[in-house]
Amino acid sequence: MGHGEKGRPSKSMKPSSKDDYRNAIPEDEEATYGEEIEDDYHDGEGKKKDFSKLELKPDHANRPLWACADGRIFLETFSPLYKQAYDFLIAIAEPVCRPESMHEYNLTPHSLYAAVSVGLETETIITVLSKLSKTKLPKEMIDFIHASTANYGKVKLVLKKNRYFIESPFPEVLKKLLRDEVISRARITSEAAGAEGFTVGKAMGEVVSGHNELLNEAQLAAAAEEKETHSFEIDPVQVENVKQRCLPNALNYPMMEEYDFRNDTVNPDLEVELKPHAQPRPYQEKSLSKMFGNGRARSGIIVLPCGAGKSLVGVSAACRIRKSCLCLATNAVSVDQWAFQFKLWSTIRDEQICRFTSDSKERFRGNAGVVVTTYNMVAFGGKRSEESEKIIEEIRNREWGLLLMDEVHVVPAHMFRKVISLTKSHCKLGLTATLVREDERITDLNFLIGPKLYEANWLDLVKGGFIANVQCAEVWCPMTKEFFAEYLKKENSKKKQALYVMNPNKFRACEFLIRFHEQQRGDKIIVFADNLFALTEYAMKLRKPMIYGATSHIERTKILEAFKTSRDVNTIFLSKVGDNSIDIPEANVIIQISSHAGSRRQEAQRLGRILRAKGKPQDRMAGGKEEYNAFFYSLVSTDTQEMYYSTKRQQFLIDQGYSFKVITSLPPPDSGGDLSFHHLDEQLALLGKVLSAGDDMVGLEQLEEDADDIALHKARRSLGSMSAMSGANGMVYMEYSTGKKPMGQGKPKPKDPSKRHYLFKKRYG
Amino acid sequence: MPQVRIIARNFMDMVAALPAMKLDHLYQNAFICEAILRSLPPLAKKYVIQMCYIEETIPSKSLEEWVLPDGLSKHRVAIDRLLQLRIFSESFDRSTGTSYRLNPTFQENLQKLITYGAVLPREPMPSSVTARLPSLQELENYAMQKWECFLLQLINSAQAEKMTNISPSMMRIFQRGLLTQRDKEAPRLTESGFQFLLMDTNAQLWYIIREYISNSEEIGVDPADLISFMLELSFHETGQAYNMNTLDEIQRSTIKDLADLGLVKLQQGRKESWFIPTKLATNLSVSLTDSSSRKEGYVMVETNFRLYAYSTSKLHSEILRLFSRVEYQLPNLLVGAITKESLYNAFENGITSEQIISFLQQNAHPRIAERTPSVPENVMDQIRLWETDLNRIEMTPAHFYDEFPSRDVFEAACDFARESGGLLWEDSKKMRLVVNTEVHLQMREHLRRQK
Repeated sequence: MGHGEKGRPSKSMKPSSKDDYRNAIPEDEEATYGEEIEDDYHDGEGKKKDFSKLELKPDHANRPLWACADGRIFLETFSPLYKQAYDFLIAIAEPVCRPESMHEYNLTPHSLYAAVSVGLETETIITVLSKLSKTKLPKEMIDFIHASTANYGKVKLVLKKNRYFIESPFPEVLKKLLRDEVISRARITSEAAGAEGFTVGKAMGEVVSGHNELLNEAQLAAAAEEKETHSFEIDPVQVENVKQRCLPNALNYPMMEEYDFRNDTVNPDLEVELKPHAQPRPYQEKSLSKMFGNGRARSGIIVLPCGAGKSLVGVSAACRIRKSCLCLATNAVSVDQWAFQFKLWSTIRDEQICRFTSDSKERFRGNAGVVVTTYNMVAFGGKRSEESEKIIEEIRNREWGLLLMDEVHVVPAHMFRKVISLTKSHCKLGLTATLVREDERITDLNFLIGPKLYEANWLDLVKGGFIANVQCAEVWCPMTKEFFAEYLKKENSKKKQALYVMNPNKFRACEFLIRFHEQQRGDKIIVFADNLFALTEYAMKLRKPMIYGATSHIERTKILEAFKTSRDVNTIFLSKVGDNSIDIPEANVIIQISSHAGSRRQEAQRLGRILRAKGKPQDRMAGGKEEYNAFFYSLVSTDTQEMYYSTKRQQFLIDQGYSFKVITSLPPPDSGGDLSFHHLDEQLALLGKVLSAGDDMVGLEQLEEDADDIALHKARRSLGSMSAMSGANGMVYMEYSTGKKPMGQGKPKPKDPSKRHYLFKKRYG
Repeated sequence: MPQVRIIARNFMDMVAALPAMKLDHLYQNAFICEAILRSLPPLAKKYVIQMCYIEETIPSKSLEEWVLPDGLSKHRVAIDRLLQLRIFSESFDRSTGTSYRLNPTFQENLQKLITYGAVLPREPMPSSVTARLPSLQELENYAMQKWECFLLQLINSAQAEKMTNISPSMMRIFQRGLLTQRDKEAPRLTESGFQFLLMDTNAQLWYIIREYISNSEEIGVDPADLISFMLELSFHETGQAYNMNTLDEIQRSTIKDLADLGLVKLQQGRKESWFIPTKLATNLSVSLTDSSSRKEGYVMVETNFRLYAYSTSKLHSEILRLFSRVEYQLPNLLVGAITKESLYNAFENGITSEQIISFLQQNAHPRIAERTPSVPENVMDQIRLWETDLNRIEMTPAHFYDEFPSRDVFEAACDFARESGGLLWEDSKKMRLVVNTEVHLQMREHLRRQK
């Protein structure tokens, strides 16, 4: 289905930028969206899994979870042990859905890899899990945990005083590694070696907080004991090769990277610290503690929802390591935002931080500093200007303490590989709002950057008032007769999208919502449209500013500034370029008039634009003044493909606890006379305009680089099921709670109808 | 659930349909009077109680004064019911108009009931004879297990493992209307079969008992006797043993059938045998709207359309399968999802969105039952929307005309159809029109005349 319909022009809008490599990454991540179109969310329709033969423990009512042989785990949120169980599960398993009463998790090799790398041991995982389980653990699950964790986390790559060591508490593993030719050649023999040829050191055993109460004392003592570690040194030049040999497709001892930054005397320190007003929130603190768990810095990925303050985590990490930091963002606007964040939260001086983009080529002074740039600037392979060449040379030659990577889910793996091989860094931290998917690229990511170190619980964030409580709604706009007739015609197959997006009823609903939120609530609104034709039509007709791929950086900045500060600019229209990383904290309403087919990620990313909490905290908390303080409307034309896509797009958010209200009559039947396209002749004129536009005018926005990526996808498609690649097998993406009921003993917030937005009040009355 | 009430009323309809002689005979039993009283519509109950000690006729005018003007329709329903059951007798007098009085037998029994309470025809057996009786919990488990086993067999589920002793011919009678069988195909549930499964246990029980009684007539047992025995049975005490030799021949064979349904448990002592009524039996005379008899719920529905049922019952899993997709079966939990496909399937089988929603509400797990709504709003909305989505197309039997000889004939035909209110569609360019079937004959006549 989807692909035939897309019939896109090669390119309708040219990027205006002079620097031709600026758009080397499709900012709109067209390619990755494309994948999701065909997947089926629920794999194996109708398949039933019968685990009713599992043996129930006599006191099962007091235990919070069921574990199935296929790795699925169900958790009761009303169990008295819920909190402990939750902390534990989030460390070892991928959340599938987390609504109010029952959570589901999946145990996967990746999730176990992540568990092991934050210090949990195989036996601990099994013991705690079996304590929490209502049934005896299925043997398959125990075997699976053993098999998955046997090799993970056993070997560490440590950079100490600029010498690379391979470290492990298990000498036999090291011996096994050394049997490999590449590794044994890379080894540097030292005199201080012990009897087995390894340097023996001591490292503090790590006690992973939170699970202690679930372990008995003996186990705790074992965990807290100092552990002997064995290590050997390897040649810095050979590091990449050695790492390669350790990947799962070779020796299968993926190495965890740790950076002993406190003892690094070779690299100069960067004298920065957090400003006193920068108080990390509890979950930010927790994610940092996972990263710096044992006094060293681990590489990995931290997943925090949009608007929950990822940048503060990044800046805090940089301030803790206190070495030079290279910060990579996806586009020039977010480069500016990152530079701003560094100055906002830390005591960094202007000359210590510099931006490196096509428009601004700064250099920091002194021997340590922060460079903020884009992935494209670093990975670009073509010819650069002389000035750029010099800067890039500096970036390549420097030994970075921290490589900070924003929006890691957006950037393809080959880009990472390039960036990582070009830059030398001791520690890599990836940040994202949406957990990367489980396609092969992501598998690479897991080993290129590191495991997922922490993933926040959105439920708590909404309840704590850290992110907005969003009311989601799907607005059904019936197609007008004339538009629907054209829609059904075969010769208009390429215009289908334009027809359902330009549906006058949808336009009127959009206009109505904009008026309602601008005038009655004084909200700031973003309208998203993937379809450029529609974007321009809507924006022109309603006289609102718009930003799309071809809008220059200067103009973008100007429009965003006006949206932030001006009282007269309350609505902006954005194309796909607005999906990621453009930070628009003022907005609290999103109206989506067209979207990319069934992309669940796009839906979540867009929602993320309004998650930044607004208003007074006490109003946002459960029981506060307003039940919802942000609104997400998705406008769909009924009886068209859009309906199908819309269900797909939402299924994902719904699985994370969102609920979409369906609104069937907008504008309300008794009003709307003053809206556009009220009369038939206006509607017909619009229809004529859509029909007379060339096919290439009405397609999706396309940026030049997409072509290659799509070709890549087609090649890859033959390799496996679509759903598996796109992570559709219940992979978590983001979660959300309507925040109606606090977890645990808290009193449920009474649903006061008078607090409700009036659009949601009358439904079936 | 509207259907439930219809079926329940049908049971009392059976009572009402008995000949006058039999009815009067029935009312000699105080238990039946009480059971009938319980089954009455609220307003009718009030009238009966109010008139309990009035031994003369009351003019209908004074009765009407007891109700507010907007309650008049309810008043009529109540009066109709009372007349049907012969609890009221009607008389007419020129000066006072219609007046009513209470059936004297009924009235007398009611008065006795109020004064002395009711006395059962049999006493519980002493514990010295019966030794160890099952505990109430054991008895309830037994009843539920029997009932479930019966239902599974009734719907011909492959899940039914144990067979009940109910004779195949009896089973077929129960299945009448619930299952259909086209030749050589496996029997399928009918629309009312699906609805039957979604009802609560009490309503199902009434339905089955009704079928049982109507069948008894065919084998020569007086339905009045059966009705009276069943209603009497409902006043026995749950968990007590009653001697079998207090029953007559017909009652003894009936009690064996009832044991198969889980209404009583039969036990054999050294010398004597006895029956122990279970909750199912004592609930027979409980009003259907009485929620106190309702079991604890087991279903949780989440905003993401996932459904968790705390149950080990195969029957529950069969019921949930009617409208959801069961994905996991755990020792004490069923995990499923409500999807568009699963719902369309249910709608096709004649189940309505309201039935599904009320099933989910009535069986809500205690954990979520206290919150309002117990089923997430978006899920309810969506279930309803999916149903209305299916109802957007309306079918009208119609006839299609084309190849008109001339434009005049065509236009005249259009006008004719329009005037008779049967024009559904016209295409004047190609001279084609569609009229609904009712107008078809007249239209043909009209066209013939044109020729």
